[in-house]
Amino acid sequence: MSEPLDTVVAIETPEHIVFHYRVAGPARRAFAHALDLLVCYGAVTLLSVLVFLVVAGTAFETGNIGSTAKAATGLVLVTLFAAQWLYFLVWEGATGRSPGKMAFGLRVVTTSGRPIGWRAAALRNLLRAADLLPIGYVVGLVSMTLSSRFQRLGDLVAGTMVVAPERARAARPLVLTPPAHPRELAMLPSHPSLDPEERAAIELFLRRRHTLGVARERELAEMIARPLGERLGVSHEDPSRLLALVYDRAVNTGREEAPRSWRPQPLAGDRGGAR
Amino acid sequence: MSLASTLTEKAFVERRRAEWEELDALTRAAASKGLRRLDTESIVRLPPLYRSVCADLAAAQAARYSAPLVDYLRGLTAAAHGVVYGPHAATREDRDRARLRHAWLVAFPRAVRRRKPEMLLATALFFVPLALGLALASRDPAFAFRVVPEAMLRPLAEAYAKGFEGGREAGEGALMAGFYVYNNVGIALRCFALGLFGGIGSAFYLVQNGLSIGAILGYVASQGAGANVGSFIVGHGSLELGAIVLAGGSGLSLGWSFVAPGDLPRLVSLQRRAREVLVIVGGASVMLLMAAAIEAFWSASSVASEVKLVVGATLFVLVLAYILLAGRSDDDAGDVPSKEEARR
Repeated sequence: MSEPLDTVVAIETPEHIVFHYRVAGPARRAFAHALDLLVCYGAVTLLSVLVFLVVAGTAFETGNIGSTAKAATGLVLVTLFAAQWLYFLVWEGATGRSPGKMAFGLRVVTTSGRPIGWRAAALRNLLRAADLLPIGYVVGLVSMTLSSRFQRLGDLVAGTMVVAPERARAARPLVLTPPAHPRELAMLPSHPSLDPEERAAIELFLRRRHTLGVARERELAEMIARPLGERLGVSHEDPSRLLALVYDRAVNTGREEAPRSWRPQPLAGDRGGAR
Repeated sequence: MSLASTLTEKAFVERRRAEWEELDALTRAAASKGLRRLDTESIVRLPPLYRSVCADLAAAQAARYSAPLVDYLRGLTAAAHGVVYGPHAATREDRDRARLRHAWLVAFPRAVRRRKPEMLLATALFFVPLALGLALASRDPAFAFRVVPEAMLRPLAEAYAKGFEGGREAGEGALMAGFYVYNNVGIALRCFALGLFGGIGSAFYLVQNGLSIGAILGYVASQGAGANVGSFIVGHGSLELGAIVLAGGSGLSLGWSFVAPGDLPRLVSLQRRAREVLVIVGGASVMLLMAAAIEAFWSASSVASEVKLVVGATLFVLVLAYILLAGRSDDDAGDVPSKEEARR
């Protein structure tokens, strides 16, 4: 397996499983932030328009506008405060993502990969005031470029980072179509030795070949199929087909049954119907 | 390494898929509805499922199954990890009412006392310029204009000169309450946050606010409304000015933890101190909310200034006693670290 890129952070769970998070860069976060500002100040504007419509309505009836209008302004100022200091804090504290982050598929997690709590949410959003300096998040941007995980100052102090978790759908396993002809099977070695990189490259090619033109597909396949064929001692008039055959054999040689030691303990409450 | 001894990918997927899909459905439900709203059976099922999918991921990586399969399992593990190791364990305690009471009665005043040098420095940085501004502006009103714009000072002095016989009508009070929340709490929070740069931002805010408040008071006093402005400020002053000092002190403390981290790496020192003083910032914000209510509805009311004075003095003593004495009885028992701290 190749080394992950540096925008990827490895997280080791207590089960000693390592998985990776892609760290979100400044551009994506800026878009999410812009959306958040739009949502949050849009809500404030909407509320103030509504409040003043109500005030104007009641004033029309009672003829006394001063007092209610002032109270309404007070209310708007409180919502403005909430927009400035509480919007991000509450969203991220409760769900780990603000609506903008949600829309752009981002999430705030601790540097050890756990969801953040209220404290971290409060810290990273209070210190937003420092990142904002001197104008338009310049300090935050500098901090992000200097830190290894695109962390602004608030992230560094709160011990958080913004990631873009990806939920891959289970991909369909590659199926050899049409099924191998007995003549083709006979020529294949019983255990073709492919190293992991070769295997990954062939797999990638096979998954994408339908997006290529016929000539291009052949040209690309040729590049791997020829040396591979020579090494394994097989040849085929269609290099794509050769790759598919070798891949199929390499992936599907092995046991259909699990070795005994494979799962030491059965799962509690396991249906076990498959066995 | 012999590939021949491992389970084929197809057989592996066929065998394990049911559990993957079950875990996938559970994590999606937990993410959208919240873990709390899942039924007991699902919650009990989650950890063993998560562990077995972890094992599957390890097996898939070791057997070098195809990249999409490994990616899928990785994504599934990551999502489930977020649910299983979520903050619910900590927030369960945080939400506890006893914990909130603990924060108020013990943690907040104790945190202030633990950061005593910074708080004393913040007090000096705020009140020395305040006294200076007061003295200079009351002797020479022109000084006040150099600190605070004249256009703002003149109407202020006129307003205070009128006194509070008329009181403040409710609408005006609500407007001012909103303004105090927006302005004062904002200043306090900024005063804390900008302490991140070696405490310089906090120091600047403290001095600047102290000086301008002093200048305003001095100027208004020099225009002959000293008694009025005094009776106005005495009600909420202890809470409001105290909270600004506390927030500024937290900022100084934050900055200093970076400048002089002791045995810790600078970043770690900063992170720990930030967590430690966060409760002070929260407490200061609540104090400011209380001050805003008092300032808007009490300080400018038509209550006799003697009563305001007595109430203000009582409040001052209470606030001071609270900061100095609350939670002291079990001080020597040492702090019980919160769950989050213990985990670090």
